[in-house]
Amino acid sequence: MKFFYLVAFAIFIIGFDLDAQTNSTVTTRTRIESDTVNFDLNLNARQAVYTGDVRVDDPQMKLRCARLTVNLPADGGRVDRIVAETNVVIDTTNADGQTMHATSDKAVYIYEVQNGATNETVTLTGNARVENAQGWLTGEPIVWNRANNSLSAMNQKMIFRQNLDGMQPTNSERTKTNLSLPKSLDAAPGVIKNVDLNPF
Amino acid sequence: MKTKLNSAILILSVLWAAKFFMVMVRAQNAPAHASDFTSVEYFDAPHQQQMKSRLSGAEAQPLAGGLLVVKKLKLETFGMDGKTEYIVEAPDCVYDTMQRTASSPGALKFQTGDGKFRVEGDGFLWRQNDSLLTISNNVRTVIENPAENKTKL
Repeated sequence: MKFFYLVAFAIFIIGFDLDAQTNSTVTTRTRIESDTVNFDLNLNARQAVYTGDVRVDDPQMKLRCARLTVNLPADGGRVDRIVAETNVVIDTTNADGQTMHATSDKAVYIYEVQNGATNETVTLTGNARVENAQGWLTGEPIVWNRANNSLSAMNQKMIFRQNLDGMQPTNSERTKTNLSLPKSLDAAPGVIKNVDLNPF
Repeated sequence: MKTKLNSAILILSVLWAAKFFMVMVRAQNAPAHASDFTSVEYFDAPHQQQMKSRLSGAEAQPLAGGLLVVKKLKLETFGMDGKTEYIVEAPDCVYDTMQRTASSPGALKFQTGDGKFRVEGDGFLWRQNDSLLTISNNVRTVIENPAENKTKL
């Protein structure tokens, strides 16, 4: 009889373990380091404000700034808003080794799910500039859509590095181009949609 | 023989008295001491039955001026639904019962109730009245999020 209970218990444990494995989910880790953090744990605030040499290490990017405000997630939720301010520097490297370097006075990260679709954007404002191997882009604002890895900008100015006949890009000669998309395109004048400056 | 016995008794008596005196002095110096204490704060009416926060510690030793030296401090805050929102732990700190603050130059750990947002650092000040926590040095945070499937256009 004892043996029967032991076998039944073992089957229960194995079944539980298999179920746990089936429901396991992959998680990513974002690390933040700073000198100081101030938490406001009031029900209406729930914020963490990092100051002093703030460094963010995310699987998709590295960010540095002087001040970072993080909305604390609700139970079981995820961080849905981060604001980086003052001397914001963002660096990314994709799987192919292509890099993107962005600077601005302010960067706002928003995560939201609407009608089952995930919106994950980083909006750069204040002297916003994005640079990669092909050239650089300035605009106000520049929006990096992390969900589909594209850039869009208002009041944009793009400068391409000259790269003729497969020559490697150089910093010595540059071509300056102001892009303005025709109104026939499905975009407001002055808006660049899906500029694949850095195909992540 | 009798003299030697009397001397021995006298010496033993002095030693016993000295030992008793030392024990008395030690007892007088020993401060009041509490162990495994808990302090609970409740929400305002109409939710006065629900815990807002719970402060607990393994040991507490009072000092002058309403201060308490607390070992193994643990602060838990709760939402209206009773779920744990935040957990703060510190091995050592000083709790000011007058100002309702806790502080220490030592280590502190902070995490959300689900453990997906974790912070460690050195040196902190907790102001219970306005629910503000400052970690002043060497702040390290880990945020865990479910991985998103990226599709390239």
